[in-house]
Amino acid sequence: MIMTNQTHEDALPLSGIRVVDVATVIAAPYCAGILGEFGAEVLKVEHPMGGDICRKYGTPTQRGDTLAWLSEARNKKSVTIDLHRREGVEVFKRLIEKADVLCENFRPGTLEKWGLPWEALHEINPGLIMLRVTGYGQTGPYKDRPGFARIAHAVGGIAYLSGMPKGTPVTPGSTTLGDYLTGLYGCLGVLMALRYREQTGIGQYIDAALYESVFRCTDELAPAYAMFGMVRERHGPTHNDFACPYGHFPTKEEGKWVAIACATDKLFARLAEAMGRPELASSSLYGEQKTRLENRHDVNEIVRDWCGSLTRDEVLKRCYATGAPAGPLNNIADIFGDRQFHARRNLVSIDDSDLGETVIVPAVIPRLSETPGRIRHLGPKLGEHTDAVLTELLGMSTEEIGELRKKRVI
Amino acid sequence: MAAKAGKRAKSTNRQQEQEETSMADGQAQTETTVLEDPELSRSPEHEPEPKLPMSGVRVIDLGTFLAGPHAASVLGEFGAEVLKVEHPIAGDPMRRFGTPTKRHDATLAWLSEARNRKSVTIDLRQQEGVQLFLKLIAKADVLIENFRPGTMEEWGLGWPVLSEANPRLIFLRVSGYGQTGPYRRRSGFAHIAHAFGGLSYLAGFPGETPVVPGTVPFGDYFSGLYGAIGIMMALRHRDKTGRGQVIDIAIYESVFRQLDEIAASYGLFGKVREREGSGSFVAVPHGHFRTQDDKWVAIACTTDKMFERLAEAMERPELASSALYGQQRKRLAARNEVNQIVIEWVGSLPREEVLNRCLACEVPVGKLNNIADIFEDEHFRARGNLVSLEEPGLGEVVVPGVVPTLSATPGRITNLGPPLGNATYEIMRELLELSADEIKRLRQRKII
Repeated sequence: MIMTNQTHEDALPLSGIRVVDVATVIAAPYCAGILGEFGAEVLKVEHPMGGDICRKYGTPTQRGDTLAWLSEARNKKSVTIDLHRREGVEVFKRLIEKADVLCENFRPGTLEKWGLPWEALHEINPGLIMLRVTGYGQTGPYKDRPGFARIAHAVGGIAYLSGMPKGTPVTPGSTTLGDYLTGLYGCLGVLMALRYREQTGIGQYIDAALYESVFRCTDELAPAYAMFGMVRERHGPTHNDFACPYGHFPTKEEGKWVAIACATDKLFARLAEAMGRPELASSSLYGEQKTRLENRHDVNEIVRDWCGSLTRDEVLKRCYATGAPAGPLNNIADIFGDRQFHARRNLVSIDDSDLGETVIVPAVIPRLSETPGRIRHLGPKLGEHTDAVLTELLGMSTEEIGELRKKRVI
Repeated sequence: MAAKAGKRAKSTNRQQEQEETSMADGQAQTETTVLEDPELSRSPEHEPEPKLPMSGVRVIDLGTFLAGPHAASVLGEFGAEVLKVEHPIAGDPMRRFGTPTKRHDATLAWLSEARNRKSVTIDLRQQEGVQLFLKLIAKADVLIENFRPGTMEEWGLGWPVLSEANPRLIFLRVSGYGQTGPYRRRSGFAHIAHAFGGLSYLAGFPGETPVVPGTVPFGDYFSGLYGAIGIMMALRHRDKTGRGQVIDIAIYESVFRQLDEIAASYGLFGKVREREGSGSFVAVPHGHFRTQDDKWVAIACTTDKMFERLAEAMERPELASSALYGQQRKRLAARNEVNQIVIEWVGSLPREEVLNRCLACEVPVGKLNNIADIFEDEHFRARGNLVSLEEPGLGEVVVPGVVPTLSATPGRITNLGPPLGNATYEIMRELLELSADEIKRLRQRKII
């Protein structure tokens, strides 16, 4: 479970890029995290007392920081600066002079309150690229509302769609999906802005809203409402707007489920074959998507009966044999035991010297053949790199640093 | 409904929208003018486009459905030229996935998600098609595919061949399980990847039926985004070194990567996370609550401060005292009691009232919007999240706008999913410089 294929640092796509991550929790920091995996130097600027609240989000370790922090603050250096203090703002400005990217997720107006509006940052460093992540974006009537991914899932339309028909809408699997999603769109924005800057010298900011990232991923929800007035509802375990059978089915074993996704007629024919009932895919029965959708209850019933008569492994083995699209509903224990996860090295073990323990975290994706990313270390201790960065990068003396520390600016 | 939606939708020009939104609150008046603006139907050829980050980058999208193609879409929104290469007869199966329209080769999902593309038909099952395709590759920067691993190789289009045709090529390969490992040949869709990657297991009530986490192609978007990020990194590397490379994305990995500390906490403590209903394992109250008028709100008290504000909104500030539920630890221990208090309070008021009281105290709260709510919402309108385009023969089609918003180089939607083969002639003639006779011959032999 150890990552191989280490790239030489200088050869990584983002080597030489410096990212200042002054954001909290997951969304904007995840953008910085990806850039760091591919060679950027990431300076996590945190409040001297307590730091990023992500350090308290999730399961605590002996070190005090949570596992979520250890995993998601990977590769970052922690530098403490109190931005509520004028002297802190001055140190921060010096850091911005030497940065390529700034990631922030304060509520709109906060940076401005500290004397750090975009115009000022842009003047200090015209090539600076700033990622701004908030619940609702920098504009519009709700821009000042507090926003978390949970709220963004609701506002962006995805929470309404998760759950049993007419039942309580449930969390769509994980409460932080919208954070990761926004980190991805934000990271893409930063990379495009870097490309543009290299061609023109001009920096810019990226305005990302959590709810927008969620809403962008709702396929034809919007066009179908606009054109036909269709309001999509919760579908429970099966989703038969477009295709059938398409959903989760229980097997003979309690608590073990499989997912089946027959998006096309050919795939249904393979499933029919796997069930030992090829006649089901004939045109007089359920060979065509249209017929299956019209008879979705019958089709789902047939598949449910079949899955319910076999163990999970038997269902899957028969599906794989004919190429029918099926897979297990894995829990994390299943995942740790899975051959594919092992073969792809999706789980990386990292010895954390402070914890004296091995922490297993998800490996870097995407996977690049020539310049694979890497995890050098897990989330740092609060202020672990303050001295090094202020000395080496900003050229501060030991006395200056001592003074700032005494005043609790850093 | 189309007209109604059209009126609410905004222009495709993000720059313009930004100006509008910064012009304070005159949205209602400006919208109509925006929609009547002839710029809306302006085709990109009439005027040179402002320079965008991806201008000059040519992407060949050989993918089907969404997972690879979403990468092409986002790059296209920011200026890349995207050529969708499709089978001459069938085209991308995405054309038939979703709600059909009057255009026989386009569902609504296709129209929205195949935005900004040109369609070029080439049959890769024919040797001559493969040769033609390699000529196209020689003029491309990026190739995107999502066939089952091995398929491209069967057609004689493995990486060594592609890389020889164009050493600078960047090759994004998206598949259910990735290009390596024992399951690589299995067919995979996002729906399967949600299950295999551990997300579906977590959606639903404890001990009950696991439900679809939101939408079936959710994971396809994740994969497209990781793919696009990989392409951007590879472009940087290529610009420095002159060498292209391969990006290998498994849909299940894109899903699994987003499950915060689930792996770490199983690895360290053996904890298997189970379904959590409408809640969350890290914080209470953090979930969905039904209002008096049978609608739903989400409330997320991630920190103690947020709970204090909620207690204030509920006019029961004592709940946030340290003797009661002031600390997350205590709230987690008394999950059911705390949730019950919130359930009762929310259930006693209509949705608007819950929202108003929470927002007055800065509690993180939001409506569980369905799509009708979204179309009514003033914030979606102000941000230009719904973009309306006039599609010949179909009228107004409303699709989600471009994400993210870039201040100097905002993305744009030039066209919706194209008719099959709408740019075949143009590309064969102008890019590959084939003669009209040659094109005719290829067409007759159904190679293009």
